[in-house]
Amino acid sequence: MLEYITNYLNSNLTPGQAGNIFWAVVYILLIFAGVSAAVILMNWGERKALAHMQVRLGPMRVGPHGLLQPFADALKLLLKEDIAPSEADKMVFWVAPLIVVVTAFTTFIVVPFGQTHAVTDMNIGILFMLGVSSLGVLGIVTAGWASNSHFPLMGGLRSSAQMVSYEIAMGLAVISAVLMTSFSGVGPFGVGGEGTGSGTLSMIGIVQAQQAQHVWFVFKLFPLGLIAFGIFAIAMVAETNRAPFDLPEAESELVAGFHTEYSGFRWSLFFLAEYAAMVAVSSIAVTLWLGGWLRPFTYWLSGSGWDTAFSLFPGLTFLVLAGFTFFNTVRMPKHPALKIQTVGLGVFGAILGVVGLLLFVPGVRERIQDIYWFSIKVAVFMYLYIWYRGTFPRYRFDQLMKLGWKVLLPVGFGVLIATGLIGLSDQLLEWVKGVMHWA
Amino acid sequence: MGVAPLLRKVFMVDLLKGLSVTFRYQHPSQVCTEQYPLERPQIAERYRGLPRLNVNPETGETLCIACNLCASACPEHLIVVESERNPVTKRKEMKRFTLDVSRCMFCGLCEEACSTDCLELSQDYELAQYSRDGLIFDRARLESGPENTVYSR
Repeated sequence: MLEYITNYLNSNLTPGQAGNIFWAVVYILLIFAGVSAAVILMNWGERKALAHMQVRLGPMRVGPHGLLQPFADALKLLLKEDIAPSEADKMVFWVAPLIVVVTAFTTFIVVPFGQTHAVTDMNIGILFMLGVSSLGVLGIVTAGWASNSHFPLMGGLRSSAQMVSYEIAMGLAVISAVLMTSFSGVGPFGVGGEGTGSGTLSMIGIVQAQQAQHVWFVFKLFPLGLIAFGIFAIAMVAETNRAPFDLPEAESELVAGFHTEYSGFRWSLFFLAEYAAMVAVSSIAVTLWLGGWLRPFTYWLSGSGWDTAFSLFPGLTFLVLAGFTFFNTVRMPKHPALKIQTVGLGVFGAILGVVGLLLFVPGVRERIQDIYWFSIKVAVFMYLYIWYRGTFPRYRFDQLMKLGWKVLLPVGFGVLIATGLIGLSDQLLEWVKGVMHWA
Repeated sequence: MGVAPLLRKVFMVDLLKGLSVTFRYQHPSQVCTEQYPLERPQIAERYRGLPRLNVNPETGETLCIACNLCASACPEHLIVVESERNPVTKRKEMKRFTLDVSRCMFCGLCEEACSTDCLELSQDYELAQYSRDGLIFDRARLESGPENTVYSR
């Protein structure tokens, strides 16, 4: 038994590939905890960042700078009465939040946080992810339908209509990135070369293709990769029902859209699922276009010196955060009512500092850095989500449809065709030559 | 559509401009929120808050001569002045002074009517009370000025 557990540590595979159930369960639990922690962090971060964009302060009372606000909210939601409308379809009403949560968390099975840091490496990874994350819309539609109320029904309808306008453009963008994995050339414009590229749908394979081609796919065949990435970046905001495409839950129009009738714990499940889906979709974007767990400049700044320099980043990030926290501890207003909060903030900063120092330990440093680079890229996307929400007004429904069908879809097709043609340029030239010769 | 507007749209110039505005607003110095019980706002000098009865700062005696002008100036008849003639000095002395703030509109007519600068509208704006009767302020409260609750944990 012990051998079964320890043997895996020597292998260089994901638990799924190694067929090790124990470590698969451990990874799943770790990812579940990690994503939940990310949701908590995101809840606080969104309220603070959004507040500052709107020149407000945001939560300030529960804990220093409102750091404990998410926990207070969670406690409040758990203690709230769980109400189901008397005319609602009870069974469907209960199942809907489950569908949304389960689909949002299932996608994380194939997310590669590192070369071996994934639950499993499916050979259809990206297809699995897109398929399962699209199923979340089913939960939203069922929630809207089962509530038996006007506003949720409108929200559900909008959600399904939004999905058909965006999934196609999203799929085309993804396919153009998958096409790029089949190139064997090196560098931003290398397509042909000796032998054929791997051409894979596996999430780990896609990142390895970027590693082999020495370029992130955003910069591949510039600007084709960038355009495809742009399409995906717009479509993923619509996919997760976030501002400016938050039509299914438009507060100013539909009260709360599909979750109007939900309260307490069930509502918090929708909340959890929304944020988990945001992380999931961002990790698709990071894997496909931004090099997944690869550190920046793996090719230009290669060598053991640069490797060591870049592996110091995780610890430095935490130390900077700790320094920032201490700076704010000093800046805290000197008031007897704020004494406990000031001490709490200081302790929090100290914990961050200790974690930062731990991350400098060579063994930890080597293990953690691919997870770090992946998370930092996802975190940038999370910030973008908040930034969009703080800036853009909601699209009207016809504008959204117009953008999806008349702009993103044709551009997506164009990018896909152009990528394919450039990828096949050598063969096409041969073929043209042959035709000319024959003529 | 001309070329320039089309390019603006394709490169999302307007959207990026909006993003830069919200990004700049994130600086802590831009925050407008006031954390009220901890930070108290600066009240304008001519703000009309709760009326106050001034006392002579040297002797601590009231400046009021019980002339009743404020009571007759008040459009809502909120002020009641009770006086008594002092047999020794032969002067009217104010005995009781009540002001019903629950219906006061802070018009300042009483302040203008006062001939001794005794009655004056102060800058006290924290007037919440637990009952209606609590809003009928007596002489002691009006002379002592605001008694702000100090919040501690």
